[in-house]
Amino acid sequence: MAALAAYTIIGLSLGGIFSLAALGIVLIYRTTGVLNFAHGAMGMFSTFVAWQVFYGWSHPFWPGWISTLLAVIAGLVFAALMGLFLEFAIFRWVRTRDPVVKAVITIGVLLALQSAASLIWKNNQYHLPIYLAPQAATFTIADVPIGANNIVVIVAALLLAFGLGAFLRYTSFGRAMRAVSDSPTSASLWGVPVGRVGAVSWMLGSLVAAVAGILITPFINFDTTSLTLLIIDALAAALIGGLVSLPLTVLGGFLLGLLETYPTIWIQSIGFPRLVALLVILAVLVVRNPRGFAVAAK
Amino acid sequence: MTSRLMVRVLVTLVAFAVLARIPVGFDVGFKFDSGLAVIWAFGLLSLVLLTGYVGQISLCQATFAGVGAYAAGMMTATFHVDYIVAVAVGVAAAFALGIIVGLPALRLHGITLAIVTLGIALVFDRYVFQDHAFEWFTGGTGGWSVREASMFGLQMDSSKHLMAAYVVLLALFCLVGLLMVNLHDSGAGRRFRAIRDSELAAATMGVDLIRYKLLAFGMSAAIAGLGGAFYPLVAGNVSPQPFWLFTSLQFAAIAVLMGVRYVPAAALGGAFMAFVPDVLTRFGHGSLFGHQYEISYDWFQIAVGVLLIVQLIALPDGVWGDLRHRVGHARSTVGALGGRRVKVA
Repeated sequence: MAALAAYTIIGLSLGGIFSLAALGIVLIYRTTGVLNFAHGAMGMFSTFVAWQVFYGWSHPFWPGWISTLLAVIAGLVFAALMGLFLEFAIFRWVRTRDPVVKAVITIGVLLALQSAASLIWKNNQYHLPIYLAPQAATFTIADVPIGANNIVVIVAALLLAFGLGAFLRYTSFGRAMRAVSDSPTSASLWGVPVGRVGAVSWMLGSLVAAVAGILITPFINFDTTSLTLLIIDALAAALIGGLVSLPLTVLGGFLLGLLETYPTIWIQSIGFPRLVALLVILAVLVVRNPRGFAVAAK
Repeated sequence: MTSRLMVRVLVTLVAFAVLARIPVGFDVGFKFDSGLAVIWAFGLLSLVLLTGYVGQISLCQATFAGVGAYAAGMMTATFHVDYIVAVAVGVAAAFALGIIVGLPALRLHGITLAIVTLGIALVFDRYVFQDHAFEWFTGGTGGWSVREASMFGLQMDSSKHLMAAYVVLLALFCLVGLLMVNLHDSGAGRRFRAIRDSELAAATMGVDLIRYKLLAFGMSAAIAGLGGAFYPLVAGNVSPQPFWLFTSLQFAAIAVLMGVRYVPAAALGGAFMAFVPDVLTRFGHGSLFGHQYEISYDWFQIAVGVLLIVQLIALPDGVWGDLRHRVGHARSTVGALGGRRVKVA
């Protein structure tokens, strides 16, 4: 029973990260029509920027929390700038193109980011994770020890998901974003700055990806490829939400995290969770009407 | 035999004769690259069929090649069969997997199909090619090693008889390429292109969607698998690395970059994919203005990504397609100036 609870905690932590990564994908897809295969790679690159600040450039005499804070800020600022750069340098120019063409362009972004990171930070090298909470700190709830980092992940995922939802629902810019995601043409007729909405979506999406990347480092084999390949889990969660719904996406992320974790009780395999993700994707796509996804793709 | 077909056969024969002679006299490294170039060209050719002709997107072509390679490796290493049997088994295995992947594709298209094929590529990369449960197929962590093999009694191996393998590969590629060009205008090719332009319209005109989509996936996988089945022969062993997810993504990127609708673009892309990284790592180091520099493989992939982005914004029909249009345009301009009518295309 205690083992089951422990696996549940791991699954929920993973799920929180999948939710965050998937939220960014859904946000960018809804407002700009770009299905971003490079989302994992973008999160990976920002995470490595944070890692560089945390382990490379921090002064050993600083208190730990200052280097952590600086690292996180550096990673997030970099992520926001990267999102803006991608929008202005690439995706602004292909707004009217077919969704498949835009998706293929993101594959180019993925390859370039992946190789650039492996050039700078070496591909197969072991990297120490970034701990936001002390590594050994645990809380005990109902006799089940829970790592502080797990709690940080779950709480951060829920907070960001609700924050993003509230931003979209209650602020005027959020309303503009929802208008663009419903129909860019009519939104622009109503005076919504469609270009600026796209840029902010890219920035926000990239930010959320960076948060997901920084949070996941204690839980996985932290190198350039593993973070890039998170994209498949994120896409699975996003598909559960139909590439549209934010709450369903978050729910899907947590569900996928649990589904991928429970089999590891019996099956000791690094690759098996990927199979679970693929089966979830297939199940979602076969059960739902696939043409439903075409609606959001302008 | 129509005159157009005759011209195509002639062009293919000349291309074969020239390409078969090129690696002679170079060192083993370049001979290996030549073999690899044809293997990758098969992977790109499979995308010409699937994406260029039928309009289906796939991000798991390297998986098909990998299945072909592992099946061929398993057959030679375990059963010591003639290599032609190994190739046949490799192609059959890839074809079967292609049909299986084609099944969800019956309901999907565009980006959802891209997601599913990406997932399949990742599952094979991280699970099937690397897990203990599939050791009978992948030969464990070391993979299969194929030191020597013979095909029709012709000795071939990676160390001494690499050229024999290269020539056979090249001949097969020329043959399949020629068949692909002819397929474009055949009845099946017209049905394929009808599916690409509009599945609904194709179905209305009586094209059996299920049959032709599955056929396209199976044939495409078989083409990729045919190239992959020669990988153990050319490289001497099989490992998961050459067929991992990023090779699949590179296939998609380079196929689009070179022009996904044209058969010669696949050959061009294969050469690009095999030679450029090797030349870069071989000659791309030294010192410039007192600074040591070293150009590693990563620079190649960065270049592929950046070139793909630039190409999709600037030259939507790919490098080969754009060249074709330019040549055609120049020819028609010259024709117009000279007052002669020149048939283009």
